[in-house]
Amino acid sequence: MLNKRIVKIALPVAIGALALSACGSDDGGGGSAGGDGGGGGSFTIAYQGPLSGPNADLGINMENGVKLAIKDANESGDYDVTFDYLGADDRGEPGQATSAAQLVIDNSDVIAVVGPAFSGAANVAAPVYGEAELTALSPSATNPDLTEQGFPTFLRGVPNDAEQGAAIADFFVSEGVEKAVVIDDLGDYAVGLANVIEENLDGAGIEVQREQLPENTVDHSSIARTVMQSSTDAVVYTGYYSQAAPLAVKLSEQGYDGIGLGGDGVKDPEFVNLASGGAAEGWYLSCPCRDLTEDEVGQGFTERYEAEYNRAPGTYSPEAYDAAMMIIEAVNELGDSADRASVHETVAQGEHDGVAKTLSFDDKGEYAGSGIYIYQVEEGEIVSRGNVEDLVG
Amino acid sequence: MSFNDFWDVLILGAVLGSLYAVIAIGYTLVYGVLQLLNFAHSEVFMVGGFGGVIALTIFVPAADPSGLQSIVYVLLGILFGAALGGTVAFFLEKVAYRPLRRRGAPRLVFLITAIGASFFLYNLAGKLFGRNPMPMPQMYENKTVVTIFGSTLNITQTLILGAAVVMLVAVDFVVNRTKLGSGIRAVAQDPEVASLMGVNIDKVVSRTFVLGGLMGGVAGFLFGTTNQVFYTMGFLPGITAFAAAVLGGIGNVRGAMLGGLTLGLVEAFTVEVWGDAWRYVGAFAVLVLVLMFRPTGILGERVARTA
Repeated sequence: MLNKRIVKIALPVAIGALALSACGSDDGGGGSAGGDGGGGGSFTIAYQGPLSGPNADLGINMENGVKLAIKDANESGDYDVTFDYLGADDRGEPGQATSAAQLVIDNSDVIAVVGPAFSGAANVAAPVYGEAELTALSPSATNPDLTEQGFPTFLRGVPNDAEQGAAIADFFVSEGVEKAVVIDDLGDYAVGLANVIEENLDGAGIEVQREQLPENTVDHSSIARTVMQSSTDAVVYTGYYSQAAPLAVKLSEQGYDGIGLGGDGVKDPEFVNLASGGAAEGWYLSCPCRDLTEDEVGQGFTERYEAEYNRAPGTYSPEAYDAAMMIIEAVNELGDSADRASVHETVAQGEHDGVAKTLSFDDKGEYAGSGIYIYQVEEGEIVSRGNVEDLVG
Repeated sequence: MSFNDFWDVLILGAVLGSLYAVIAIGYTLVYGVLQLLNFAHSEVFMVGGFGGVIALTIFVPAADPSGLQSIVYVLLGILFGAALGGTVAFFLEKVAYRPLRRRGAPRLVFLITAIGASFFLYNLAGKLFGRNPMPMPQMYENKTVVTIFGSTLNITQTLILGAAVVMLVAVDFVVNRTKLGSGIRAVAQDPEVASLMGVNIDKVVSRTFVLGGLMGGVAGFLFGTTNQVFYTMGFLPGITAFAAAVLGGIGNVRGAMLGGLTLGLVEAFTVEVWGDAWRYVGAFAVLVLVLMFRPTGILGERVARTA
């Protein structure tokens, strides 16, 4: 028989130790004001996005892109200054966005920010960054309204959802869809995208039924039933992969055999992984991001990324890499005189030939290019079907 | 709403409601013996989900499982879910609540400890198992089992309903017909007298937690088979099941069953009529309405009364 007193003391201690050791394994990403490397100064590039929470995978893909850009820059020897990384976790939630932004702003080494990653969080954090004159270059926040509100330092490095919505409508017309159920998650990004899709489908003469599936829904049977009852040809889910996966599972359980399509928030290997039993098979995914396997620049990036992280680049990894690289080049161009305001000016007016695309912005901070791509889940892999313009013909 | 729709929704609601009922038992039993709102019970449920998923991830090969294998996998999941749920509930009582009981801490301290334990557990789970949902390995092909009035009942739904019925009957038997049950009822009615009559209160309390934990753990696994397993999965079902326990009459085992089923059905019909955004609005409006007219819940409070 164990001594009761020892058990009483040892147990909380053991549990506490377990908890602490678990904390210790976290690689943090906390701020580091690195010492001067070589002759030039040292600057920190921050990233704000979901590093935890249900949609962390999307955020971590981007964080890895930013980290890789910083590593490449520091190792290349092409730059007179060195760069450090600071991660700010907002869980992808508007409620956490301000404090994440404040963490970044308060660190005086930070020269510019890649992010915020999600539209809802960007909508809250962009004015805060604006006040601090800190560039917020988002590689992924696609809600059209973001550039309409005059945020002084917000830049968007991706085609917005107005374009994605139009492309999805074109794609459905070419697939002969007559009725579509459009489901959003009541968040900024999903509602924005769903509205645009609905407008464009309406315009194309396709009947639309709008449904709402709140982001924290735990039971997806009812919404799947609603879809089945609607006798629709196509379902569009405009939220993120963590909800899309159980939705796909319930739809396949109930025998749905029409088209399933998710936006860029669903285009993540985790979507396929979480939709167990192959429920994601055949789903289309639209994304303002091109397929990297098409050319050498993309392949080279993929190889470097895989060598570093032991996994393939995710959605927006290359876009985040490009955003960080553009900032790095701007800082380098400005040299030691670089400060937050001058970096913003240089980036906003500059042009950067990146891995994914050429980045430049109009006077509202909107991405100046275009291009929406369709992907499809095939045998458990997300494969590219090409640019929508080419698909529709 | 057509007759067919009605049956469809009834099945969805019954499946959801039976899970709520099983979770609600855990709240109600503990309240019965300690008058404690054990908010950490939602984390016992969550841990059960992880127990089942992790065991199956280790043991289930990728290949398509056949009939007998499927049954073994399901039993394995239930077993590990129950084991982990029971273990966590046991230590929860031992580490978090017993010291407070010894020192005669005020009610409020118990409540805050319960909330603290809940935060501790789900954040610990987030650290240990990651913040992403864990996919449930495929144990069987989810075919249709029976068709009632044109509405189908698939394997997962049958499994949940069946397991819930078995557990609810078993717990009702334990509470009303066994020695442990009379201990639980005695402590619920008057701890001091029970103690004078030779009931070991510590033992009864500890076993009550384990009983609730076993059921919560299985519910977590069952929930994982139809939805997803993730570190905050306990929150909404936990709160809803707690509400179900109050709705039925907290401390009352049959009340918790009735409350769980009621809330599940109200949720399903609310979603059918008004959409998913109204899910909890409907369920909790019913809760408030019922409590306005019957403040002690549908069947009234206290474990002892069911005897």
